[in-house]
Amino acid sequence: MLTAEQIKLFIRVLKYNSEYDFSDYAPKSFARRVEKLLEDLQIDFYELIDKIENGDPDFIQFVVNNITVNTTELFRDPKVWQAIRYRILPRLKDNEVINIWHPGCSSGQEVYSMMIILNEEGLLEKSNLYGTDINTEMLEIARKGEYSYRLNVEYLQNFDEVINKNPYDYQHVSNVPYSKYFEIDPINDIIRVKPFLREKAVFVKHNLVSLTNPFERQFDMILCRNVLIYFNRNLQSKVINLFYRNLKYPGYLVLGYHETILDAESMGFFKHGYYFAKKLK
Amino acid sequence: MANYYIFIGGSAGSFQSIVKILNSLPETYNYPIFLSLHRLKHVRGGFVEALSIKSKLKVVEPEDKTVIMGGLVYLAPANYHMYIEVSNTIALSTEEPVNHSRPSIDLVFKSAAYVFEKKVIGILLSGANKDGAEGLLEIKNYGGTTIVQDPKEASVSVMPQSALDLFKPSYVMTVNQIIEFLNSIYI
Repeated sequence: MLTAEQIKLFIRVLKYNSEYDFSDYAPKSFARRVEKLLEDLQIDFYELIDKIENGDPDFIQFVVNNITVNTTELFRDPKVWQAIRYRILPRLKDNEVINIWHPGCSSGQEVYSMMIILNEEGLLEKSNLYGTDINTEMLEIARKGEYSYRLNVEYLQNFDEVINKNPYDYQHVSNVPYSKYFEIDPINDIIRVKPFLREKAVFVKHNLVSLTNPFERQFDMILCRNVLIYFNRNLQSKVINLFYRNLKYPGYLVLGYHETILDAESMGFFKHGYYFAKKLK
Repeated sequence: MANYYIFIGGSAGSFQSIVKILNSLPETYNYPIFLSLHRLKHVRGGFVEALSIKSKLKVVEPEDKTVIMGGLVYLAPANYHMYIEVSNTIALSTEEPVNHSRPSIDLVFKSAAYVFEKKVIGILLSGANKDGAEGLLEIKNYGGTTIVQDPKEASVSVMPQSALDLFKPSYVMTVNQIIEFLNSIYI
């Protein structure tokens, strides 16, 4: 197990030799990521430090890609997606454009989930979706929109929950087939998002720790799920403030199922069930 | 700061024992209790309610960075790891499963050992895999108390037996003895 001093050294060396600053990550989970990296690379801690000090940008990006957590799913937590579809979208439907930012989008499943409900509501055409992540490898997968069928098949149940059922109106039942949005090839273990969705999504590398908005626009909705759990309280508050400043009014913020904003009202948000709504300060 | 932090890990065959333990503790029980139980990924709701029916203590699924309070039972949310951060808060993570499990018992036990050291009481119940054994050893190494359910009593003995194969815990107990023990340390 690595000591707290070793983790500090790792963070310092990485910060000195790259654009990445992990100082405000949640320490315990961050330490586990570094330990896992050492295990995967089968090298000693000080060898890792040496290699980072050599400053090879490809190696440093490899390190960053491997210490970030990339878990994501199609329609993770259907109740949240139902709330987005039936509670948030009706409030945005008359906007001229709808801009949505997915910071920490990983391999992009939630960007595509969002596109699918926008399309079902007839709003996709006037929507712009932006996925950003620190992990270049995951962004590549996101752009391709191609996933393992075996690993994603169980989430297709979630698709039915969100697309074909409406908990707010039980009489509303539809029968949208998966094939409307996906090409499924179980033999080769592939589920691929259809081109009309892939071509619309924009995926850009961006580090949330920089506390910047990489796009010259403001957003109607920001969806950032299970990203803030890797940050300490201090950084969490700064990122929430970044979201506040870059949301329009009305504007909506969706976090992970078990994430919350400490003292939400003073940060400028009201909690409405599964999401947060921007309030005027 | 509580005198003890109680961490319970269980998998297949442990549900009834957990219910029994929770139902046998008084409502004034002041130590925080943490439950890491393997369960189906998609069964989100219902578990807290099921555990709460007869429990005199409040059972909650914590949010990320929750400050720990005595007298509450914290249940690891489905499909998340729950662990203790160095700032004494409960943290969640979606890192890859450990021992095919998320939540991982090893992970919460190890983080608890590191932060609370000898104040930890780690309890490992029935289960069908070896998750928790290494974590329990870590609790021992940091001076905490370790309890393994008697494999003869456990519905599925693999999990407690894996711990016994690895090291000698402070106690091997039946569920009734565990209840007695937990009540005896509460003054």
